[in-house]
Amino acid sequence: MVLKDVLSKEKKNAFMLGNEAIARGALEADVKVVAFYPGAPTSEVLDTFAEALDKFDYQMEIATNEKVALEVCAGAAFAGVRSLTAMKSVGMNVASDTLFVLGYTGVKGGLVIVMADDPHAHSSQSEQDGRFFAPNAYIPMLEPSTPQEAKDMVKKAFEISERHRVPVLIRTVTRVNHQSGIVQLGELNRGEFKKVKWKELGEEYATLGAVARQKKLKMLERSAKLAEEFETSEFNLTRNAGSDVGIVTSSVSYLYVLEALKMLNLQGKVSILKLGTTYPLPKSTVKAFIKDLKKVVVVEELSPYLEKKVYAIAKDTNPHLAIFGKNSGTFSEAWEYNPNVVAKGIASAMGIAYAGHGVIVKEAEQFKEIIPDRYPTFCAGCPHRATFVALNQALKIQAAKGQEHYFANDIGCYSMWIFPPISRGDSSLCMGASVGVANGLSHVIEERVVAVVGDSTFYHAAIPALIDAVHNGNKFTLLILDNSVTAMTGQQFNPSTEFTAGGRQGKKVPIEDICRAVGVEFLEVVDSYDVKNNVEVFRKALDFDGLAVVVSRRECALYGDRNKRSRGEKIVPFYVDKNTCKRPYVCLRTFYCPAYELDEDRQPRISPELCDGCSVCSQLCPIQSIKRVEVET
Amino acid sequence: MSLNIFICGVGGQGLVLLTTVIGNACAKIGMKVVTGEMYGLSQRSGAVSVHLRIGEDVFSPLIPYGEADILLSLEAIETMRYLEYLKKDGVVLMNKRIMHPPVETSKIITSKGAKYLTIEDVVSKLKSWTPNIAVIDALGLARESGNVRTENTVFLGCLSALEAFPVDENAIRESIAEAVPQKTVEQNLKAFDLGKKSAHDSLCTLVQCKQPP
Repeated sequence: MVLKDVLSKEKKNAFMLGNEAIARGALEADVKVVAFYPGAPTSEVLDTFAEALDKFDYQMEIATNEKVALEVCAGAAFAGVRSLTAMKSVGMNVASDTLFVLGYTGVKGGLVIVMADDPHAHSSQSEQDGRFFAPNAYIPMLEPSTPQEAKDMVKKAFEISERHRVPVLIRTVTRVNHQSGIVQLGELNRGEFKKVKWKELGEEYATLGAVARQKKLKMLERSAKLAEEFETSEFNLTRNAGSDVGIVTSSVSYLYVLEALKMLNLQGKVSILKLGTTYPLPKSTVKAFIKDLKKVVVVEELSPYLEKKVYAIAKDTNPHLAIFGKNSGTFSEAWEYNPNVVAKGIASAMGIAYAGHGVIVKEAEQFKEIIPDRYPTFCAGCPHRATFVALNQALKIQAAKGQEHYFANDIGCYSMWIFPPISRGDSSLCMGASVGVANGLSHVIEERVVAVVGDSTFYHAAIPALIDAVHNGNKFTLLILDNSVTAMTGQQFNPSTEFTAGGRQGKKVPIEDICRAVGVEFLEVVDSYDVKNNVEVFRKALDFDGLAVVVSRRECALYGDRNKRSRGEKIVPFYVDKNTCKRPYVCLRTFYCPAYELDEDRQPRISPELCDGCSVCSQLCPIQSIKRVEVET
Repeated sequence: MSLNIFICGVGGQGLVLLTTVIGNACAKIGMKVVTGEMYGLSQRSGAVSVHLRIGEDVFSPLIPYGEADILLSLEAIETMRYLEYLKKDGVVLMNKRIMHPPVETSKIITSKGAKYLTIEDVVSKLKSWTPNIAVIDALGLARESGNVRTENTVFLGCLSALEAFPVDENAIRESIAEAVPQKTVEQNLKAFDLGKKSAHDSLCTLVQCKQPP
């Protein structure tokens, strides 16, 4: 995609990422308020709206967390204005408090919530199956397979939302969000943004006790109506091949099924029911599909969500139906699928021969024995690496004095500290949890607890735990890594800068001001690149008999590079002076920078294409052999 | 007919842009294209990969194992990481560039006798999978184009030389001009031409190519 496709008035075909198609669908539906907290694999929905902000008339927030984002959208929808948010499903854990109530209160304007699961935990802490939010909260759910369908479903979801006065979930998986394909663009007729008069709407959205009990009944009625409506939805597709075996599937698994049938030479020979409306489930459609089958194969990633429904429906409709899925051991609840995994499952259910992929995968494994792993690592110039070098030195000195440590990590680029060659970290859970568990650990372990949290994660979920620490007098060291942006998801703005979505002017909310306001007594703000000074500051913070907070600040290298380029500044790299270097390898042993490599003589050298010019390695060199390249000015 | 290309490299090398250029070109000429992209964390220096599939009968965003016609790697070590996707007689289009991960360097300084993997090691190992291996000095050609960040475009030129690559060259060139920063268009088109020429000198002795103009 190029942005101009998202903006295009022309009804042409465009190559789009799933996330861009979602944004385009919402723009075609004339969405007026969008709010997000970034999270892979949905971040490009936010990025697309941020890029297009100056071209259209909508309000946008990069909110402090997913719950706030959902509430921003709910507020707009209460007043009859169309709104959209997108989050990863672990974000929905945070937002779900609000989601469950919205099922009761309902909305007036269309409210669409994109929620992405991440089977295989590519960029998440768990393989959570978010589909269960839908039946639990009585919120209708649509599941697209392709970017085209994602766009169509988002548009349709606004209509459903307004007709039934309920938020609608679009549930995706990584392989839909990060799938690109050809998308047929629709009409782009944007209406004018107008404020509405709340009093004239005559709406109310309160629920509690007796009111909630009445609303529950209405909610059940609504789900029954939706189930009926979904029986004729264009998103449910039955391909009847007149076979004894049928396949029930949804989401990206549908595409794997099509591919697998091609691999098994069974194209057009097996009946398929592809479900797009997975809550409430169109039971009659499923009933009609399985009624005359001998075998059904349920192909879905993660939990047996559809499979359990199929069991329940088959009990009355077709009690002798053989059901193949997770329960039969045909498929696993673990990890994502692919065409080969699905082909193997279908072949085994159908009792046909399939050579499988074990041989080729095993053969390829032998080739991999000689290659090194490439773990995610801090970019060249990353301020986190510098902070951790100083922290490591401080911890080492403290350890020599007999102070031992527990290291609580959190969610952000700094999570990568758990990967080799560093491999440090006693725990890493979810947004903001490092500070929460530090409170509990400080009560029960003898070691000094060191918790680490990034700027965006601090605003997102760590502030309540910090207040808890101050209020209860808990003693630990908290390091707040402030690199100005939400770096890991693509350097989105957050309250650490004065910019809001699309680079518009906002107000900065300095982290140290929050710490001071809640009563933190030991508070230091340091420059992440100033390693020598930071070792001393960290040591003091580790020795402090109480809660000690250090804010380590320096902008994200990728964000900083962009700023430098836009200011016309050159990035001046460093080099290792061969003539003076005595090869103690301090640079390599302590710094692990990807710009470093060894030449044929095992002499460290810095790749000028990769060096960010941060200077930190030159500070570490005991013989001052790392120097800045001289440039003519 | 379909064409499956598995693209891999290291974060920061422009794999996504390369994919976008091909995808946009397909959209222009009405060709079906599906991709599956893997770039979880937004940082440099990590492993990045893209499944790119062109043709009417492709469905899945992931290429089945052993069905990639071309394995295009912008970094030589990464070629080996995804070999299960490549057909046994498939084409390897590989950058003559290794970006040693810090774990590898750290191992070398701590254990005596440990050595870096070389391009020659990779090529000789790969030969038992496929004889069709082309090593392209993309960084050198990118430098020659006047912009070291055009390695990805060099490979677009290489792909365009192949008979099996069904996307019209003009559509690709147009698409490059639309996708890259305005002031780098000329350098990118030069990188494209250098890549195409380089393929004619190496790859085209192994597999069927379009006639050079």
